[in-house]
Amino acid sequence: MNAGYVGRRLLTTVYTLLVVSFLVFAMTQLLPADAAVTLLGNSATPEALASVRAQLGLDQPAWWQYWHWFSGVLSGDFGQSMRTGQAVAPMMFGALGRSLLLAFLALVLMLVIAIPLGIVSALRRGKAADLIIGIISYVGISLPEFVTATVLALLFADVLGWLPATGYVPLTEDVAGWLAHMILPTLTVSMILVAHVSRMVRSEMVDVMASDYIRAARLKGLSSRRVVLHHALRNAMLPTITIVALDVGYLLGGIIVVEEIFAIPGIGRALIVAVQSRDLPAIQAGVLIIAATYALANFLADLAYAWLDRRIQYA
Amino acid sequence: MNDALLRIDDYSLSYTTAHGSLPVLDGVTLSVAPGEVVGVVGESGSGKTSLAWAIMRYLAGNAIEHGGSIQLQGEELTTLKAARLRALRGGRLGMVFQDPSAALNPTLTLGSQMLEMLTRHRGVSRGEARRIAIETLGDVDLKNPESMLARYPHELSGGEKQRALIAGAFACRPACLIFDEPTTALDVINAAQVLELFGRLREETGVAALYISHDLALVSRIADHVCVLEKGRIVERAPGRKIFAAPDHPYTQSLVAAVPNPRRRLVAESEIAAHANARERPPLLTLRGISVDYGQRTTLARWLKRPDPRFRALNPFDLEIAHGEIVGVVGESGSGKSTLAKALTGLVNHRGEILLDGEAVSSTPRGRADYRRRVQLVFQHPDGSLNPRQRIGELIGRSYRLYGLPEGETLSQAVARSLEEVRLDPTLASRYPHELSGGQKQRVAIARAFAARPDVVICDEITAALDVSVQATVIALLLDLRRRHGTAYLFITHDINLIQQIAHRVAVMYRGDRVELSSAEELADGPKHAYTRALLAATPTIASSARVIDDEFSAPTMDQE
Amino acid sequence: MPDSLKTLVRSPQGVVGGGLCLLAIVLVVLGPWLAPFEPNALSFTARYQPPGPMHWFGTDQMGRDVLSRVMIGARDTIVMSLLATAIAMVLGAVIGTLSAYLGGWVDEAIMRTMDAIMAIPSLLFALLIVATLGKSDVNAVAAIAIAFTPGMVRVARSVALAVRTQDYVSAAIVRGESTSHIVVREMLPNIVAPVIVEGTVRVAFAVMLFATLSFLGLGAQPPSSEWGLMVSEARSHLFTAPWMMIMPGLCIALVAIGFNLLGDGLRDALNPRSRT
Repeated sequence: MNAGYVGRRLLTTVYTLLVVSFLVFAMTQLLPADAAVTLLGNSATPEALASVRAQLGLDQPAWWQYWHWFSGVLSGDFGQSMRTGQAVAPMMFGALGRSLLLAFLALVLMLVIAIPLGIVSALRRGKAADLIIGIISYVGISLPEFVTATVLALLFADVLGWLPATGYVPLTEDVAGWLAHMILPTLTVSMILVAHVSRMVRSEMVDVMASDYIRAARLKGLSSRRVVLHHALRNAMLPTITIVALDVGYLLGGIIVVEEIFAIPGIGRALIVAVQSRDLPAIQAGVLIIAATYALANFLADLAYAWLDRRIQYA
Repeated sequence: MNDALLRIDDYSLSYTTAHGSLPVLDGVTLSVAPGEVVGVVGESGSGKTSLAWAIMRYLAGNAIEHGGSIQLQGEELTTLKAARLRALRGGRLGMVFQDPSAALNPTLTLGSQMLEMLTRHRGVSRGEARRIAIETLGDVDLKNPESMLARYPHELSGGEKQRALIAGAFACRPACLIFDEPTTALDVINAAQVLELFGRLREETGVAALYISHDLALVSRIADHVCVLEKGRIVERAPGRKIFAAPDHPYTQSLVAAVPNPRRRLVAESEIAAHANARERPPLLTLRGISVDYGQRTTLARWLKRPDPRFRALNPFDLEIAHGEIVGVVGESGSGKSTLAKALTGLVNHRGEILLDGEAVSSTPRGRADYRRRVQLVFQHPDGSLNPRQRIGELIGRSYRLYGLPEGETLSQAVARSLEEVRLDPTLASRYPHELSGGQKQRVAIARAFAARPDVVICDEITAALDVSVQATVIALLLDLRRRHGTAYLFITHDINLIQQIAHRVAVMYRGDRVELSSAEELADGPKHAYTRALLAATPTIASSARVIDDEFSAPTMDQE
Repeated sequence: MPDSLKTLVRSPQGVVGGGLCLLAIVLVVLGPWLAPFEPNALSFTARYQPPGPMHWFGTDQMGRDVLSRVMIGARDTIVMSLLATAIAMVLGAVIGTLSAYLGGWVDEAIMRTMDAIMAIPSLLFALLIVATLGKSDVNAVAAIAIAFTPGMVRVARSVALAVRTQDYVSAAIVRGESTSHIVVREMLPNIVAPVIVEGTVRVAFAVMLFATLSFLGLGAQPPSSEWGLMVSEARSHLFTAPWMMIMPGLCIALVAIGFNLLGDGLRDALNPRSRT
């Protein structure tokens, strides 16, 4: 892998985060809420409001405010929550940790299910197995998380009573309890992704199997097993890396809904609380952290892709 | 012949399509004796590739066989079990494909792809396979065979890939090899080297081969026997060297007549004399020092000391074209011949000066508009140059809308006349391009160019994608149009046989340089430049037999940083 | 085009998808006339009735007929989603084609910025816009439209770039056609088809996203019977009357499946490779 490619990719990642930070800041500036009023309440005197505004820098021009906020972010200071008055950073990063655990579980579950499904579907193209997997994936991709979550909760928590409907137990306190609380959210989040990724793997695999070099490999007299495992699979898996990385964005979005429904104290739930209470610094921090996670995932995926596919360096 | 190695008897095949059954092969009977090379020649749609797939037992899902047998060394292939078939494929029965890039898996090294074949079919260990592979590659004159095994396909040139693949196929000790247009994707000189290699390996190993190609001249040069395939039927089988001399079947006769023969001029010499007085007028088109650079270097790249990405696609080029003259430009891919067409039509920026009737073109907007009408371009692929979402009438009508209608004609009359002029049915005006055949589409493109009443038409490889018989009719059409309108042509092609038939003067291009500019007679008497000689030697013609290739101009391997 | 339509009707995806989408459009246009009951008519005698011959989808906690509410709600869910996707499609096609046409550093800047916007998950982006502009269905449409635009820009740009290198565009340049003729007559007809395909699949996402926003209380507001909102309101009665939640949830899924199938069917039908 050459350094130029890594450097260029790193540069675009930094640019992405700059644009996101700018967007987030610009949008929160449009919020009709006056931070000073939010802090002091409607009965505050004009003098008190003015002094708080000066203290928060709200009387300064917008670019100054942006710079003030952004330089704080760079040193890990995202400001104080307007709702609780506490620093945003530790709260958000704590929540992020819990969300990432959930995201990781969902990602692993998704890969374990989706890739075999996609491959089986492609190799049995047009047969019953392909049709059944196809129908399941169409249903999976068309069910919003809130519907899946509600149905799963109804089934496993109410009718069967096997799992808790909502709530969260920290991993450090009780591993089994944590896992029990994580099963339904993980299933919910990975449902759409399984459907999407298995379809992508299928179509990549179908394309590869129809390619000239697979035909050449077959006509060399290699066994089907070797053709599929040695020649086809690696080529079909390469584009899948990029697809999975792009789906991380969808995963992070899905987590917001799932955390809200299952009452998991992750970053998604924190964000919804922040949006509902118009807690500016918390919204800014939450969006920026999620976007950064996504950008980082894509950066790593691109590096992995470049490392696995040597052609890209010469392109 | 009972001792035939490969024997096909009354074999028929059809494909099921949405529009019913489409017959592809009809009662094909042919045999290949040990050590023999049998050529199969056919135009597109003749079923020649389907024949190869049928022998390799690799048929599409919608293929239906209608009886007949295919036997290799007495073993019936049509009823063979899958496991037995796999042992056969690549081993006793090998195949070499048209496009060497497509036949290699891009993510596996050349070594791993050669070794898996050798271990499978020679039953040797990986170490032994490696030794054989290195020896084989060295044997076909590939440099540094050891390091070559570690390379990925994109790190090899097209010629290198094809030589490695052929070497690999021979190394598995086949009884019979099937070649499906193995040189079509290569440049002329590369192709000649691959053919030479094929000839040598065949002599050394005595392997029998079935050689499939559209190129009659090439096949007659290497095959002991040639089978001519027309619409799924073998219409003639004759010894390779005799098929040109005395073709029996009318189809073969028309095919032989359509193959460009450099000795048979299609343009009368007297015509050039008739245009001699035209030479006293200022030349129609004058090119002075036309050069083209591709790529640009940004300030940032310079600052980061990146390698300069600019390269010169065309070195300063001078040429004068007289009224009614046909000037040929011939060269391999990368010679800059298409860049010249792009520069002349304003598709790429160029340095230097273009004069039309002795006046600089770029001086006034009127001059540029006038130039655009009088200098027309016809592209190689009509599929690309005709907008798929416009009807034929619209496509041709566009020229009339832009450059004006002839007096006393309506648009639809003018379009109908244009279509008749290129010998197409005027009712085609309401069709879309995809409803027409390749030759018909190219005629539409020609009609569109001539609707502008041009003085010179630039033809950029316009027959390269066409079958040889269609090519002959398109060339006849062009010459006919020239007789009628006195149009000059700048005819760009890779086919030096064809250009010798029709051009008054020929410019030979090599890596962005014009290495030779000779009249057709001078070229026939003997080319001046060594590259032209190499090109001529590498090109199979109806008459020629194999000649030695000039090594100086062998294809370079791709430069690697 | 007629050929493609034939191919579409012949494929099972096209038939099922087209049928579901047609059904959805019928609901949107004729919903209020077809609905058997007044959607907001309360009836305390008919609360929590399971699906039966009288109320096919059952009744809710206030005795309202769920089927009628679903039929009326189709308007909110589907029209809003179509609107949001259409806006994103137009914006995306214009910006994408422009970006491809201008090329160079302008193209680079536009595309990197679009990438950056795509780094914010669309749901999060929609949340952010709704938080900024306030909760309402119009704002939710704006939010989805903006969140979808970068994706459409990408598709339109990549198609436009491919079209731009085609010989028919070169031929038009050589003929001396005006820029507007080249863009409008030569390029656009060849760009539209893939953009419509992408748009169709996106409608399915928009339906789900819009319902999700309403579910979170940030899209359509009561007493609307938008499907996401219906599911949200039904959650507190989940265990007593699961049909209240299952019926609108099923409708969301069916409409999404319909647009997904139609989009994939169109993609196959418009792909020249699949027609040979």
